[in-house]
Amino acid sequence: MKTFSKYWSIFQITLINSLAYPGELAGRSLMIIPFMWIFYQLWKVTFNAAGVDAMNGLTLHDTLWYLMLAETIELGRPPIARTMSENVKDGSIAYILNKPYDFLLYQFSTAMGETIFRAMLNAIFGGLTVLWLVGTPEHPEGFLIALPAILGAWVLHFCINAMIGLSAFVVEDVSAFTWIYQKFSFIFGGMLIPLDFYPQWLQTFAKFLPFSSAIYGPARLFVTPTTEIFINVMTLQLGWIVVLTFLLTIAYRRGLTQLTVNGG
Amino acid sequence: MNKILHPFYNIMTSIEVTNLQKTFQTKRKAAGLSGSLRALIKPEYSSVEAVHSLSFKMEAGELLGFIGPNGAGKSTTIKMLTGILHPSSGAAKVLGYIPWIDRQKLAYHIGTVFGQRPQLWYHLPAMDTFMLFGKIYELDDRETKKRIEYLTEAFEIGDLLDVPVRKLSLGQRMRCEVAASLLHRPKLLLLDEPSIGLDVVAKQHIRDAIRRMNQEEGVGVLLTSHDAGDLEALCKRVIIVNHGQIVYEDKVSNLKRNFLTTKLVQVRYALEVSKDFSINGVETLKVGHYGVKLKFDTTKTPVDSVISHLSEAGDIMDITISDPPLEEVISKIYQEANA
Repeated sequence: MKTFSKYWSIFQITLINSLAYPGELAGRSLMIIPFMWIFYQLWKVTFNAAGVDAMNGLTLHDTLWYLMLAETIELGRPPIARTMSENVKDGSIAYILNKPYDFLLYQFSTAMGETIFRAMLNAIFGGLTVLWLVGTPEHPEGFLIALPAILGAWVLHFCINAMIGLSAFVVEDVSAFTWIYQKFSFIFGGMLIPLDFYPQWLQTFAKFLPFSSAIYGPARLFVTPTTEIFINVMTLQLGWIVVLTFLLTIAYRRGLTQLTVNGG
Repeated sequence: MNKILHPFYNIMTSIEVTNLQKTFQTKRKAAGLSGSLRALIKPEYSSVEAVHSLSFKMEAGELLGFIGPNGAGKSTTIKMLTGILHPSSGAAKVLGYIPWIDRQKLAYHIGTVFGQRPQLWYHLPAMDTFMLFGKIYELDDRETKKRIEYLTEAFEIGDLLDVPVRKLSLGQRMRCEVAASLLHRPKLLLLDEPSIGLDVVAKQHIRDAIRRMNQEEGVGVLLTSHDAGDLEALCKRVIIVNHGQIVYEDKVSNLKRNFLTTKLVQVRYALEVSKDFSINGVETLKVGHYGVKLKFDTTKTPVDSVISHLSEAGDIMDITISDPPLEEVISKIYQEANA
């Protein structure tokens, strides 16, 4: 119980800390409004040019709500790898490592603490914008059904980012890796284009990758909340979480022996 | 279970270090574009020996100074003793634990302060970090609050705890930092440059509180510093390191007797003075119309005779008596070691 309580406290203090500058937090979240407006214009033209109401089962209305959730997940996630890299570069990792807790669980608790308010504000601003542009979602209950998958997406994002962050123990600067990850998320995660619009072979390939489990899966579940999609998304997410957690633990143990703490 | 001290912990010895060594690989790169391109194709590395075959012991409850100039290997040693860094070779036991293997178990029994890095949450009041540390070290809320009350009184931080840390002065913040590191009643406190950048009053506050914690709770203190004042005020024994090696290890009283014998005196007078400042055994470093700077050996010339001579010259407006820089003391020790 005390073990759980320490990670819960770390989560709570990060949550409170994220409210230190509420104006900055809200201002950053407002960015989702122009994003959704641009997506609306872009996809309205595409659907009109194609002369169809739906493409591979998704209407313009579905596409917009899909993109709203995809952006909420993406914009809500904190820059874990960059933070870990900064901790190594400025030497503050010394304080993070010398406390009686599991380093990875500490990082996970802080990441979740930073995520909650950001994601909530993104969902509110993004949701209101899409509501104004195309009306209510077809399955409002889809949000509740997609909730476990949204949480799973953040866990998955944490695993991938923490893997990148751990490489800072050796290479210190990880910006190149985070850049690659971001681009992979754009292409294979379905962040700009729902994977359903890809050719079949690319869809099959992309849907199997962890990037799609971290964005496409929960967003698709939100617009089509069926039991079949729910099971598919959750199974794939769980599989990737198990594999990546295992790799993360190994990488952490190896990284620790390589660590060089900067500063006097 | 984690909070129980190691079963093989020798109650008399806090730290035992044997032939500890740490070598870092540093990438070398020649200046300019061609140097950068060459480094890309064929990177060259050189080894930097931060700690070289270090061996020492620290008794439980001891106040041990671990001093040396910048780059001497002090912080690297502390980081190995807390388990953050793995050594290249050698052995160490801290409270019976091998730090880099039992890092989490050891963490329950030691407190650390890295003077150049904050551990308090910057945007939140220090009280939030204190309560968080209570949870991390698995203390009951009641126990945490009682402990905070005690530390608040010892470090005189009562009116600081509810202020966001970013609004505190460096001295106030450091008092809170050291107090936070003592929340879980550690057996050993590792202080890495706790007085860096602090003014005289702030340094005194921290030194007094640390001395009190040592006397009342028996917490051992390993203090790294490049300020000889910290050493004189707090430590009974000193280890001086340079280039990762021990160059001196003795009681502070012996160090003072043998090496901290020179004093620098700087005097400023209210009115212009034209006195001849030459005193037997005193070296005049600088003379102006309104002041003078002298250097003398306290074993040959008593301080009071120098002061009375200086006060005869006119009304003293300001006087500073200081020790020679630690670098000077170390180079003297080094020269003697090499002689």
